[in-house]
Amino acid sequence: MGPVRRTTELGLLVLGALVTAGVYALASLGRSASLPANLVPFLGIVLGLLLVAHLAVRRLAPEADGLLLPLAGLLNGLGYVFIARSNESLAALQAVWTAVGVTAFIGTLIVVRRLRDLERYRYTFGLIGIGLLLLPLVPGVGYEVNGARIWVSIGPINFQPGEPAKLALALFLASYLVERRELLATASRRIGPLSVPDPRHLGPLLLAWGMSVLVMVTEKDLGSSLLFFALFVVLVWIATERNAYLVLSLALFAGGATIAYQLFGHVRDRVTIWIDPWTYAKGTGYQLVETAFALAAGGITGTGPGLGEPGRIPARETDFIFAVIAEELGLLGGVAILAAFLLLVGSGLRIALRTEVLFDKLLAAGLSALIGLQAFLIIGGVIRVVPLTGVTLPFVSFGGSSLVANYVLLALLVRISDESARRTRRREGERAGAVA
Amino acid sequence: MNRKITALGMAMVVLYLLLFAQLNRIQVFQADDLNHHPENFRDIERDFDRPRGLVLSADGVVLARTIPTPDSDYERLREYPQGELFAQSVGYLSYEFGAEGVERSYNDLLSGQTPGQTYAKLSDLFIERDRTADVTLSLRADLQAAARQALGDRHGSVVVIDPRSGGLLALWSWPSYDPNRLSTHDLGAANAARQELLADPAEPLLARTYAERFFPGSSFKLVTGATGVDQGVVTPTSPSYPNSDGYLAPGAGVAIPNFGGASCGGTLDRILAVSCNTAFAEMGAITIGPEWMVQGAADFGFNARPPLDIPGAAASLFPTDFGALLDGPGGPNSVYEDSAKLAQASIGQNDVQATPLEMSLVAAALGTDGTVPVPRVMAEVRDAAGKVLEKPQRETWRTAVSPATAQTMRQAMEGVVANGTAKGLALDGWTVGAKTGTAEITGDAEETNAWVVGYAGPPGQPPIAAFAVLIEADPGQGELTGGGAAVPVAHDVLAVLKALAG
Repeated sequence: MGPVRRTTELGLLVLGALVTAGVYALASLGRSASLPANLVPFLGIVLGLLLVAHLAVRRLAPEADGLLLPLAGLLNGLGYVFIARSNESLAALQAVWTAVGVTAFIGTLIVVRRLRDLERYRYTFGLIGIGLLLLPLVPGVGYEVNGARIWVSIGPINFQPGEPAKLALALFLASYLVERRELLATASRRIGPLSVPDPRHLGPLLLAWGMSVLVMVTEKDLGSSLLFFALFVVLVWIATERNAYLVLSLALFAGGATIAYQLFGHVRDRVTIWIDPWTYAKGTGYQLVETAFALAAGGITGTGPGLGEPGRIPARETDFIFAVIAEELGLLGGVAILAAFLLLVGSGLRIALRTEVLFDKLLAAGLSALIGLQAFLIIGGVIRVVPLTGVTLPFVSFGGSSLVANYVLLALLVRISDESARRTRRREGERAGAVA
Repeated sequence: MNRKITALGMAMVVLYLLLFAQLNRIQVFQADDLNHHPENFRDIERDFDRPRGLVLSADGVVLARTIPTPDSDYERLREYPQGELFAQSVGYLSYEFGAEGVERSYNDLLSGQTPGQTYAKLSDLFIERDRTADVTLSLRADLQAAARQALGDRHGSVVVIDPRSGGLLALWSWPSYDPNRLSTHDLGAANAARQELLADPAEPLLARTYAERFFPGSSFKLVTGATGVDQGVVTPTSPSYPNSDGYLAPGAGVAIPNFGGASCGGTLDRILAVSCNTAFAEMGAITIGPEWMVQGAADFGFNARPPLDIPGAAASLFPTDFGALLDGPGGPNSVYEDSAKLAQASIGQNDVQATPLEMSLVAAALGTDGTVPVPRVMAEVRDAAGKVLEKPQRETWRTAVSPATAQTMRQAMEGVVANGTAKGLALDGWTVGAKTGTAEITGDAEETNAWVVGYAGPPGQPPIAAFAVLIEADPGQGELTGGGAAVPVAHDVLAVLKALAG
């Protein structure tokens, strides 16, 4: 089973690398020559790193799902090409971040041999998660960029603690909920058709809601706030199998959103330009208007790599990178990105379905939901399906914090899938042994 | 737990289907609208610092050129050496505000983006070459300068068009502006300049020649007269309108007076020469009637946007509804609810409004065979190797009147110059026909727009120029008459044209 999966993985990785290199070549050739040739070595580094990651999986998790790494590699590679194409000066840096990310991926596989081992540190993870989430609020450490206080600076290192915070909180919640699920699920009263959890057990839910609101209000970070709350809700819902939690959470979300809309100008602005960016085309709606023009210019087949005009798109290497891709690769390229994310989420959920360890199951589902929702929030924000919340596009956007955190997340999914495949094989082996 | 995980997977699929649907909506169904959205300057910005061809005047003066700027953030700068002189025709290319004028309408050719230019031959896929094209205009820099000098600092317009080709020879209006202020690489300065120009009450950004409407006053009598002749109800000998100092149209409360309270009347040549209000009011309201008047104005191009090859040309207006028939057989010699309004409209008052460009087109039609040419500023486009890419031929926009009608009107218009209100336009050795206009704009006789509209050229040949000159009312400076204010400007410009024509 293992070697077959690894061969598939290698084949898909090579395929992804060919696509990436092809797009890169198109962007750098031709008369527009928007990419200088001296960036080619960096592309080589990025693709080489993915090969290293593959070799590490061969050694460290030989029976893991073969789709995860190639999908992440394709997203990372395409993202790299469009970062380099939009802003040459970031190309080398993103190659370095990719190296750090792949190192973190391999490191996680080495350190975490069994997911169960992590359960022991659940409260540590919980504290780390909350600490990271609130770190930007510490004076002298956190600072504001473009209106959101989501960065911290410790010594020479600058990073967005929200990205690792998501991981730590997912680990904590999965572990905490596995333990408490019976209690949360059974202690309930019936009101009409819904069985409502006992008020005493609503504490955690309200706490999570309060945290989200705090992050939204103090850091003005709508994206992280929403993702954190969504992660919590999804995990509680899956763990307890009670739809009542889903309904309650939606009510809490609606309440929080309404209050935020009433109280905060920046929330109101986001909603206003989501509904009608055209009236504010010269002001707050500028980003969305220019994005719509970029997408329209791309049309079905795109302008071609290197032949678009990403110069007008703001934050084009981070939050709005999807607009650059959809302009130059068109609807086809945009849909390919959507499909890649959906396949990634699907692989993650399949891993969650297959494993029998409840902690692993919950964690895999939570991590998959994180990636899927984060990509949905930012792509949906860029193309006006939902109001814009500034989060990165996993694996694609420029930025070290996000890339490293997502590679660690990927490693955890790889580890869960490897463990579960081994268990299945062992059991089948035993059964075969018993029959013999 | 697996059931919920499966449900989560389904929910994710639904969310991504939403993204898929929206992506299709934007990139397929709305793409065309978005690509042509007025706020969409992507193509202009793409071309902002790329190589770009020259814009040249018909007499070879460089009106727009692109120079390399090694010390700037942008590779090249678009320059307008003639400054304000061609601002409202050549326009500008700006990073933030897009492009106007010829820079906008011929953007693809200038920047080498038309399909014919990008891939003229197979080797173009691999080899870099100059794909830009140079646009030569029909506008003449010397004539344009003469118009600027003749108009001076008065607000107004001078339009000169070659009726044989439809090519505009001069398109000057004051106030104007320096397009270099908007095309500069200093985006802050460009923004400040634009704000200042927008806030200026004199509206220097407004191309008065083709984008603004004015009451045409008596110059509109050309349309009324030509419509009457073309319908066969007016000839050089009949009707002969009675001498009168006031015409009271059916249903009107107040009689229409003549200029200066004079009495006048007679046949076509006479009433055109002295610009007789009472006669033309009766001609339009009774002799011709509303249906033919509305049709006649439309045939000259009123109530439609002229197909000028510069964006922003405004339609000239003539009212289309004169109420129900009250008395008579309908059409000519009938009384309508709003016959009084039609009487005023027939002498270019009431709701009649025209651009100077439109009035020059009226003169162009009457100066030739009765057809209105498609007006153009572009004469020729050549690629970098000198090959002609575009060279438009004369096209007819409207058939206004028959050649015979035009001939009849020319006789009357030449009479206006020989012994009427436009005597000052006579040029030795040239045939000139014209019609003046003095249009009240507020009801205050002291505030008037002064017009003269006509054609000129060597005798015995089709005229080489049709023109419209408008001097706008200047409150406090007293009445401006067509003959007194506009005719001398037209004369100066035509004299320069005559000297150039040899």
